[in-house]
Amino acid sequence: MDNPVFDTIKNIDDLPTLPSIAMEVIALSRSPEVSINKVSECIYKDPPLATKVLRMANSSFYRRGSNEVDTLHRAILMMGLNEIINITTSVSVLSILPPKGSEGETLRKAFWNHCIATGLIARHIDNKLGMRSMGREFVAGLLHDIGKIILDEYFHKEYMEAHAFSIDVDCPMYDAELEVLGTTHMEIGHFLAQKWDLPGYIADVNLYHHQPIDAKFKDITALISISDLLAKAKEFSFGGDRLSFVLSDQQAWHILKQMGYPVHILDLERFTFEIEDIGEEVNRYISTVSEPGTEENVHERI
Amino acid sequence: MSEFKPSAGTAQMTDDTFRLLRDFIYEHSGIYFSDTKKSQLENRLILRLRANNLSDYDKYYYMLKYDPQAAKELRSLFDSVTTNETSFFRSPPQIQAFQEKALPELMLNRENMGEKTLRLWSAGCSTGDEPYTMAIIVKELLQENLCDWDVKIFASDISEKALRSARAATYNEYTLRSVPPEIKKKYFISNGTQYKITDEIRMLVELQYLNFNDDKRVRLMRGFDAIFCRNVLIYFDDTAKKRFVSQLYDNLNPGGYLFIGHSESLHNISRAFKLVHFPGALGYKKE
Ligand SMILES: [Fe+2]
Ligand SMILES: [Fe+2]
Repeated sequence: MDNPVFDTIKNIDDLPTLPSIAMEVIALSRSPEVSINKVSECIYKDPPLATKVLRMANSSFYRRGSNEVDTLHRAILMMGLNEIINITTSVSVLSILPPKGSEGETLRKAFWNHCIATGLIARHIDNKLGMRSMGREFVAGLLHDIGKIILDEYFHKEYMEAHAFSIDVDCPMYDAELEVLGTTHMEIGHFLAQKWDLPGYIADVNLYHHQPIDAKFKDITALISISDLLAKAKEFSFGGDRLSFVLSDQQAWHILKQMGYPVHILDLERFTFEIEDIGEEVNRYISTVSEPGTEENVHERI
Repeated sequence: MSEFKPSAGTAQMTDDTFRLLRDFIYEHSGIYFSDTKKSQLENRLILRLRANNLSDYDKYYYMLKYDPQAAKELRSLFDSVTTNETSFFRSPPQIQAFQEKALPELMLNRENMGEKTLRLWSAGCSTGDEPYTMAIIVKELLQENLCDWDVKIFASDISEKALRSARAATYNEYTLRSVPPEIKKKYFISNGTQYKITDEIRMLVELQYLNFNDDKRVRLMRGFDAIFCRNVLIYFDDTAKKRFVSQLYDNLNPGGYLFIGHSESLHNISRAFKLVHFPGALGYKKE
């Protein structure tokens, strides 16, 4: 079921690539010989990346104890290998597709705001429901709509058309994308996640976050599906996605319920009020990833 | 010369106390203060500290929690945590949710049923800002088709004084500060300092005295497509709240919406409604 846009994207030679170190770290995490030393050595090969990862590890988003973590080795000891790999992945993707694009800057910003909000909300829900996604929920949220950015990058004019269409007709972006481009951000995102050799759950979340019932990684995909809606309810939306919805009627909600997560005891009103401040968290996250890696920032107390 | 007076002016609310007070208020009123609203809560409660001659927020919290006399304080507390001022197009996300999502949906349903009637209720309408805002929104949506429709907006309050000013339908600049200029031009007649609602809008609104404790009369308010009952429930105790909300449920048509205050919650009060997330606002739907 390929179409010209999808074909073109598949054959673009200069599609953004994940920094080689990030690829290496992800590959390393799958190898049986993975060790703290190997991972930290690998990240140190890319000093700006290492600085960013450390800064993130010391930010209010990750830091647990009161002591500053000054080496990657210590960071891995404290936070676990998986969390460092999550941070490396997030920081790397944000560095190759930064929130400040040259063209369509406001849209690109709105796009990342939506994605970061989705990741942060996913993390709050994960916490509330005791899902123990171990930080994967944030990366998955951050990258769930990555297809949109690729479509915008390579088919900017058409993507703007789809964006306008979704507002005019008051339909979701994926319907507008199908109408104008003949493909969706889910397909493109899935393709990219595979091409970048990202963990399987990220590819899965990309493809199925609007129909989690078909996902292989059902719980995290359902979690992202709900977080995506809530991000939109907090007006971190994109195009005609000004939806109204009943959370307890959502496919994703039923999936989580069936899997035994205590969604029925969640005080949804209160949770909705709690994430009222998500905008501030989003801004804080963006400034943590985008500031240049100076010493002061690494030492900044938050 | 002067006796020692605890000075509340310098009291600081610690994050821990903020959380305790926030949870207490939510539990007792359904109103939630998110983390960024700490200073707002601080400002609102400082007067309660002074009134009770307390030196800090901790003591105030312990009084609320453990003092048997505290029940009396609750009402003043709720008064100070809700902004009592009213204004046109107040709480824009809620108004927008009604305008963009709920109202078009309700009208479509009605049209499909072949009856072009619309019944709205502003329960606790105060000086009329809310029902007139609703009327303007309906008019804006229907434009000249309004005459094909049978629209009635009931607006009730327990204060005769408030009802008198609602009847006068005359407002000052400040009350209209959230009103878009083109709306102001269309639906208000100005004499320079005061703005009066046009007759066309006034005719859609029916003002009446109503005491929510008057079960018999409340029960008669039937067949509504949407009810706005914002920042009213906090003054009821749990039992009364449950009874009143289930009455409001019965007052709605199937498919109808109930809107309560912007950060008010029915979580512990009713499970009958479906909670609807609108962009930036919550609503309750009867299915
Ligand atoms: Fe999406
Ligand atoms: Fe999304």
